[in-house]
Amino acid sequence: MKIRGKAWIPTVILSIALIVSLIWGYNQYKLKNKYEISLSNQYQRLFYDVKKHVENVQIDLSKALLSNSRNQNVLMLSQIMSESNSAQDKLSQMPINHSDVGKTEKFLSQVADYSYYLIQTHLKGEELTSKQRETLFNLQGSSSNFNKELSEAQNKIAQSMENTTTAQLSKVEEANQSVLNTQLLNLEKEMGKSPELIYDGPFSEQNLGKKPVGLGTKKVTLKEAQKIATDFIGVKKVEEISTYENGKDISLVKIPSYTFNIVPENTSKDRAIYMGVSQKGGNVVWMSNPRAVSKVNISMKQAEQKAAAFLKEKGMENMEPNYSLKYDGVGIFNFAYKNDDVTIYSDLIKVNVALDNGEIVGYDANTYLMNHQERDIPEPKLTQAEAREKVKVDYDIDSVRLAIIPKGSREPLCYEFKGKYRGSDFIIYINAVTGDEEEILQIIKNENGTLTF
Amino acid sequence: MNKIFSFTENIIREEDIFMRKKILIIGTFLLIFLTIFTFIEPGLKDASKYDYYQGIRILYWGTTGEDVKSVQWRLLQWKYYNGKVDGIYGTGTYRAVRKFQRKNGLKEDGVVGPQTATAIGISLGTTTNTAYATSTAGVSRSGDEYLLARVIHGEARGEPYLGKVAVGAVILNRVKSPSFPNTIAGVIYQPLAFTAVADGQINLTPNNDSIKAARDALNGWDPTYGCLYYWNPATATSKWIWSRKVMLKIGKHWFGL
Repeated sequence: MKIRGKAWIPTVILSIALIVSLIWGYNQYKLKNKYEISLSNQYQRLFYDVKKHVENVQIDLSKALLSNSRNQNVLMLSQIMSESNSAQDKLSQMPINHSDVGKTEKFLSQVADYSYYLIQTHLKGEELTSKQRETLFNLQGSSSNFNKELSEAQNKIAQSMENTTTAQLSKVEEANQSVLNTQLLNLEKEMGKSPELIYDGPFSEQNLGKKPVGLGTKKVTLKEAQKIATDFIGVKKVEEISTYENGKDISLVKIPSYTFNIVPENTSKDRAIYMGVSQKGGNVVWMSNPRAVSKVNISMKQAEQKAAAFLKEKGMENMEPNYSLKYDGVGIFNFAYKNDDVTIYSDLIKVNVALDNGEIVGYDANTYLMNHQERDIPEPKLTQAEAREKVKVDYDIDSVRLAIIPKGSREPLCYEFKGKYRGSDFIIYINAVTGDEEEILQIIKNENGTLTF
Repeated sequence: MNKIFSFTENIIREEDIFMRKKILIIGTFLLIFLTIFTFIEPGLKDASKYDYYQGIRILYWGTTGEDVKSVQWRLLQWKYYNGKVDGIYGTGTYRAVRKFQRKNGLKEDGVVGPQTATAIGISLGTTTNTAYATSTAGVSRSGDEYLLARVIHGEARGEPYLGKVAVGAVILNRVKSPSFPNTIAGVIYQPLAFTAVADGQINLTPNNDSIKAARDALNGWDPTYGCLYYWNPATATSKWIWSRKVMLKIGKHWFGL
């Protein structure tokens, strides 16, 4: 009996261990439930918010259609803009596959963008055209469809929630998710059918589907493109040149290109140079040599001269250096095309120069190739002094010049006023033909160089 | 059971009773300790993860500035660093910081975040230098840069350099597209969008290549010519992704619209 008595020790230890692990497990279970509920609450809130925002869009659109006062309309449209932006933002935070809501998100972005465009036309003093009214009417139809689908989802979810015990909760959650998905999928199909919005804004179909105009016409073969690539970097012999595999739809990208990986002779394989050459026109779209630069031997000024000389050598005439950045021992220089005395910011080329030996390690002509063409530059209707009057009196101006800036699909000719206001650097663009203030950029200088916002 | 205990019975001597008591006491303490431990909830107390969100300037490979200088200066004095005090966070500084972190029991990632900064004895400012005008204070892109670098690292650290830049470019193309959220963080944290975000790999410390790739992408380099999707044919589970328009292949990823 005495000896038998020792048996209780392991038994007790094991049973305490069991109790401890049970308690631990229960705690984990409770914790898991807590997290699940807080996440589900978050998603429910998002869902109800999206519904509310879409409702408001729908209502404000009907009001804007009816209203005859321009001021009232501007207010309505800015509300529509903010409501649809919020709806889009919240919809994109819900746990739904992008394939199920992509078009709906796009619809909401475009409603916001279109409202912004209409606000601009209103502020210029133009009335809504009958076409724009019709578009608004169509948008209202789409948003009420959207709202209908959301209401249906809401009803179904509310019904299923009514007679549920906590034990069934996770199953019901799943069911709700699938209700929501089906409803949104219905909507997604509807949205695919809605007509294109024609206006001038960053999210308009016109702007999204823009084709490059600066490529030229000649089609080049892979062999020719390879020659263009090796000539461009100026290496006499290449160790290896490989081409990245293109898919069957490559012709649908903005600038269909061949993409190369070039290993120059006498260098290691991991120090390849990457390059893209357009299939049409055989232009180098971009080039990059991502080697490390450990020592800085030349100044940014010297590097800028190297970059300018490089562009000249490649036959890019009249390119004028603008702002620059410095990262990891590499200077990045932005060059804009200059037509007589007008700087054209739409035609932009970036050149990266390694600050150790002045080698060109990067080149990006994407923007240039998209936009560069012969332009009919209008004569400015305003004189410089007249344009100056449009700018705030106490704006401290450093320099003035004529420039063409990209503005959606338009390219207005502007007077560019660089200067300071209350200690910060800005650039103000005044349209040289209409006198409108087209754009204000804030310049931020930090240890890396100049950034515009 | 009996067999085992009759076996133990043989080797138990008188003095073993003391031993048994000792074991019992130690065992009880152990159990009490475990019990207490189980009641402590592993809540979201690990605040260090959230420093990224607070706009605090974090020093890592490639950052420059006065604060980098003060880090180098301290590490030089303490003999962790033997390079120039030039304000550029390069290889030497990176190694010195790692050495410092290892010696001081900090997470060894070569990044000067709030904890390492406190240990070194400097205070990190907000993301811009206070010397600049107030209307631009706090405006910078270094937060975006580091976030983008973390996704690139999580999603494509095994890819060639071009593949890393391409992943960064796809994220930036999505920001510009109406069908996706309008901010970099919005695109990255969109539910079900990136596996590296869902499984937490995004919280790994990005290496130098990923940071460089993020910077190249932010500077406008787009090797995908405007693509919005990418997928790895070996691991892609969604059938839908194959209905995308296929553009080009870089490394293991196909890129498409």
